[in-house]
Amino acid sequence: MIRIAVFLAAGAAGALLPNLFGSPLLLTLLTQAAINAILATGVGFLVRQNGLVSFGHAGFFGLGAYIVALSATNGWMPIGVALLLAVVAPTVLALLLGAAMLRLGGVAFSMLTLAVAQAFYELALRWRSLANGDDGIAAQLPDRILGLDLSVFQQPGSMFVVCWIVLMLVLFGLSVLIASPFGTLTLAIRENEERARFIGYRTLLPRAAIYALSAAIAALAGVLFALYNGFVTPNVLYWGLSGEALVMAVVGGTRAVWGPALGALLFFLLKNVAGDLTEHWPAIIGGTLIIVTVLLPRGASGSIALLMQRMGVRTA
Amino acid sequence: MAGAGPLRAARPRLVAGMLIQLLNGLVYGGLLYILAVGLVLIFGLRRVVNFAHGSLFTVGAYVGFTVTSVAGFWAGLAVSVCVLTVIGAALDRFVFRPLQDEDPIVTMLVTFGLLLVLEDAVRTIWGKEFLTVQPPAILSGVVHLTGTSFPVYRLAVIGVAILVAGGLSLWLRFSRVGLYVRASSVDPLTTGMQGVDTDRLSATVVAIGAGLAGLSGTIAAPLLALSPSMGGSILIDSFVVVVTGGLGSFTGAFIAAMVIGQLHNLGVVFVPEAASMIPLVLMVLVLIWRPGGLAKAGA
Repeated sequence: MIRIAVFLAAGAAGALLPNLFGSPLLLTLLTQAAINAILATGVGFLVRQNGLVSFGHAGFFGLGAYIVALSATNGWMPIGVALLLAVVAPTVLALLLGAAMLRLGGVAFSMLTLAVAQAFYELALRWRSLANGDDGIAAQLPDRILGLDLSVFQQPGSMFVVCWIVLMLVLFGLSVLIASPFGTLTLAIRENEERARFIGYRTLLPRAAIYALSAAIAALAGVLFALYNGFVTPNVLYWGLSGEALVMAVVGGTRAVWGPALGALLFFLLKNVAGDLTEHWPAIIGGTLIIVTVLLPRGASGSIALLMQRMGVRTA
Repeated sequence: MAGAGPLRAARPRLVAGMLIQLLNGLVYGGLLYILAVGLVLIFGLRRVVNFAHGSLFTVGAYVGFTVTSVAGFWAGLAVSVCVLTVIGAALDRFVFRPLQDEDPIVTMLVTFGLLLVLEDAVRTIWGKEFLTVQPPAILSGVVHLTGTSFPVYRLAVIGVAILVAGGLSLWLRFSRVGLYVRASSVDPLTTGMQGVDTDRLSATVVAIGAGLAGLSGTIAAPLLALSPSMGGSILIDSFVVVVTGGLGSFTGAFIAAMVIGQLHNLGVVFVPEAASMIPLVLMVLVLIWRPGGLAKAGA
């Protein structure tokens, strides 16, 4: 009950405040931050529950975005079906890939996540007749999507509310999952897979399920991205984006389920401040990743939790 | 006679065409092997994967480019390998050694950060435009093989890959340092307890691995257009090689590099749109068949 109240309050406050007090520029920034927060939540959740690092979540994000853009432009299917497929297809792909890749250790797994995403990047780049290569696709989205006007998804003010609600729903769902027996089981497998097997649990499927779920969250973010921008390029599949998502998750800290989302917000504030330096943005991302990984392994959320603990406040 | 001519000519042309494809596959496989074996060496000693390895390939190619334009190809090759060897030693000293007690995840994240920083550094120094390097004059001709021609330079690249593979096997099998390297890649802790200075050993090995990345980048330069992101796709293929071969296995990496070199080349020729997917599909199949990779049957 308390959990629901907290999420309702955060959802309402987050959706209303920027619209009441924010400038258009801030709203644009926050909308991007909210979409990336969903992606980062997917990446961070994988670290939290499986102890695995994905260097390729841009693959699922981009796949979701491309499915929306391609099927809307070519009129393959009604937009509602396309949106559903854009989340389901990457999820199924992740489940199958996970079943093969998770047999390996964490190091090999991480290498392969990068390889998979980069293969899709190359595919989008080379298959010009389908994906129009480097130039990307301007999606021909229909005027009404899921009963809402297209402008709802393309105006920063309203889209921020949509993204914020989706983010809150994702975080709420994950926090329920973490508290469930399945959540405990996956943590046990993360800590010691062999021991979990000895107790009698099958370990491959739960790990693959977590991987698939985190891919689904990334794909959801990709769908929102495609609706908001109406334009996708191979950059949505590039490892630069996977790296950004990782930075957000690491900066925010993955111990708390909301850590990566906080990281995404900090990330976009930093990006805004960096301003003229954005030409060297990849180097800033890389540098931040190195510094935070080495000096602040708990991330922002971990530091906040530690601070609150010291002040005698109990946190979930 | 007019009808029989094309038919009779078709078979030799087909054979020659296949030979050319095979050789081109060997060229790419060779480059891939030189890069991947560096990853295997580093993994053997440090139990981590160097995500920045593709950037070392890129830096090698660009250093080679700059020195070549001043002092010729051979100087470029020598300087590039030396520079990358020094970078490798520094990488071990300032990244791998301080982080050796941390979770491998930490080192992976740091080397991934380095990848982004190095890619940006190359873009800043040399610019985004595609650059090209001419092969050295002595290797610039073509040889005639069963009716078609093949660049000498590409044959030389295959030769270098064979030399690296042979030299490395001999070094690992017959030298004292090679023995230490093999021992350490089986069990670093025990090797350390036997009195082997694994830190010094690792500095040597990471330096060699980085030097090989530089070698691979420099000899690839006349074959590819130089761009700051050129290390990306070959890094991915070399990851697939290392995992498919069985993480840490030299023989496995060699076999996997040759197979993926062929597949990559056939893919580029016959299904250019989906060429990047082929190594991946192969990898998934191998992992289902042998979860430990080609070289490790049971694991």
